Amino acid sequence: MSIKISNLRKSYGKIVAVDDFSLEIPGASVFGLLGPNGAGKTTTFKCMLDLARSTSGEILYDGKRLEPATFERVAYVPERSVLYDWMTVEEHVEMSRRAYAKFDPARAFELLAAFNIDRKRRARALSKGMRTAVMVAIAFARNAEILILDEPTSGLDPVNQRHVLSLMINEAAKGNSVIFSSHQIGQVERAAEHIAVMDRGRLVLQGTVDELKADRKIVEGIFPDVSFTLDGIARDLRVARTDRTERIVRVLVTGGAEEIASDLTGAGAMAVRVLDLNLEDIFLYAVSPATATTDIVAKESSS
Amino acid sequence: MNYVEWLRVRNLLRVVAIILTILVVLAVVLRVSVSRYMSPEAWVAHLALDPGTKVTRTTLPDGTKRIVFDDPDDSTHVVVDDHGYAGKHIVVTEPTSRAQKEHSDVSVGSVRVFESRNGATTTTVIDTNGAVPMIYYMALADIVALIVATILAAPLAREVDGHLEIALTKPCSRVRYALGVILADAAGIIAASVITVIAFYFCQLLFESARLDFSGINANAIAMGLILPLAWYALLCAATTLLSRSYGAVLGFAWPVAILTGALTLIHADNVVALFVHDVAWVISRFDPLSYVEFASPNATGTYNYTEANFGLRLSIEVLFFVVYGAIAIWRWQRVEA
Repeated sequence: MSIKISNLRKSYGKIVAVDDFSLEIPGASVFGLLGPNGAGKTTTFKCMLDLARSTSGEILYDGKRLEPATFERVAYVPERSVLYDWMTVEEHVEMSRRAYAKFDPARAFELLAAFNIDRKRRARALSKGMRTAVMVAIAFARNAEILILDEPTSGLDPVNQRHVLSLMINEAAKGNSVIFSSHQIGQVERAAEHIAVMDRGRLVLQGTVDELKADRKIVEGIFPDVSFTLDGIARDLRVARTDRTERIVRVLVTGGAEEIASDLTGAGAMAVRVLDLNLEDIFLYAVSPATATTDIVAKESSS
Repeated sequence: MNYVEWLRVRNLLRVVAIILTILVVLAVVLRVSVSRYMSPEAWVAHLALDPGTKVTRTTLPDGTKRIVFDDPDDSTHVVVDDHGYAGKHIVVTEPTSRAQKEHSDVSVGSVRVFESRNGATTTTVIDTNGAVPMIYYMALADIVALIVATILAAPLAREVDGHLEIALTKPCSRVRYALGVILADAAGIIAASVITVIAFYFCQLLFESARLDFSGINANAIAMGLILPLAWYALLCAATTLLSRSYGAVLGFAWPVAILTGALTLIHADNVVALFVHDVAWVISRFDPLSYVEFASPNATGTYNYTEANFGLRLSIEVLFFVVYGAIAIWRWQRVEA
């Protein structure tokens, strides 16, 4: 099942939470949605599930609008606990069994056991991480075609975080789609094939992780003095950003790094080097370029 | 689909059942404690009879134990027919006092007291095993059902309070979900009424063989007794869904406001301010299902002053309240956002 989001906009009064957001999420994949706090990730998820009504735009599941029956095929884990405090874990499983035709209680109990959660305990007696684990276990027992997971590893210990990532990858291998958000970029890099980055309600970057990493580089040039010009380089469409600090220039490129390096040499640079970016660097470039450049070069220099 | 609401209802009914069980246990204790005082023989032993009173004990062919008190000094003659568990029939013949009325017929529960004056003599007949009007049971059941309705009356607001992501991602429409929730609660409220009637009936059985009167006004009382808590529930359900962020306050203030409004409609409007307050309260009370309830009560002569036509209108209004307030709650629920 694929999802197509077109020109989504959601505003709360004068505050625009999501603005002109368009995205296609392919089936049978793990899709990571990244963004700083308040970027609009959770609001986007809520609009996708009709938990919040979009101000404008359209969201289609396999070409059709969301309808109640779609929830048989879509599972959701919200970022905060929505469990009923007074109910036991077992009762939450029973609730899902009664609500969803394809829900597999045995699978749910198996996952709960893997997370070391006592099924007889009431939700109020569970820690934050355990509550997340319960919601994740129930969602993965749904046999849903799409899993929308809003920070599904929040509060989990490293072992269980890794377990959740494995579950996500396994779901994609089974032909289902997993869309998740996380602040832990390492996890996204490990699990996601596709990513999208949101900032202030807008989509600022998207693509497969491999493509983004292969294309994006930083080309750094050191000039003999400050009187150099980069007119030609700055106008190159492959140059996403140029930061100039006295005799040093750092150019973020989305392709053709070697050619840009040659251009810098041609412009008079004494020394030129090309730096690789990891997903965290790419994310930082998308949402906070100035911070990203400094951090990346400092990191590379120290190594 | 509405498993959570059924669990809430089940848990609340469990509490109601525990409280009623405690009540029944107390009734058993009371029954055991008073058993030795319940026979006419025990009464005789404890009565401070005049020295000239003659007491005669006989057993009738059907097993009835008869005790006759004859006090020639006071011209008083009492016949007590003790049918055991099946009740007592007591006839008191005594001189008429000035305060006594011509006739009176009063029933309270299973006890009926009929008094007739015949010149200088008054005869009082007391029967302790009459059919108990269902209206008594429904009045008791409604107290419990209204409490249950008040506790259950924020089902949709409780979902808004942190559980929308579960409630709204179920494979059913919002209308169907809300209807399911309301029906679950309605079933719980009716069940609370039923188990209350059963518990009180059992308590009565501990003391006498209780017969129930479902006829006439009692049938109306059953209908009104069932729909009233549902209408009250629907009112609170609509209010809590509209004011979902402060549903606790709505539930907390519901009874004080209803009682205050009802009381203000009764004030004597002898000046402009009082008239204004009365009129405002009266208008507000028209939206309150409780204000349309009039459980029949016997008048001075023991007859019920309750008209069928009036009852039909009131019952229709209660049904209308249930439907309209329920619809308002569902309408608001459809617009809820997480």
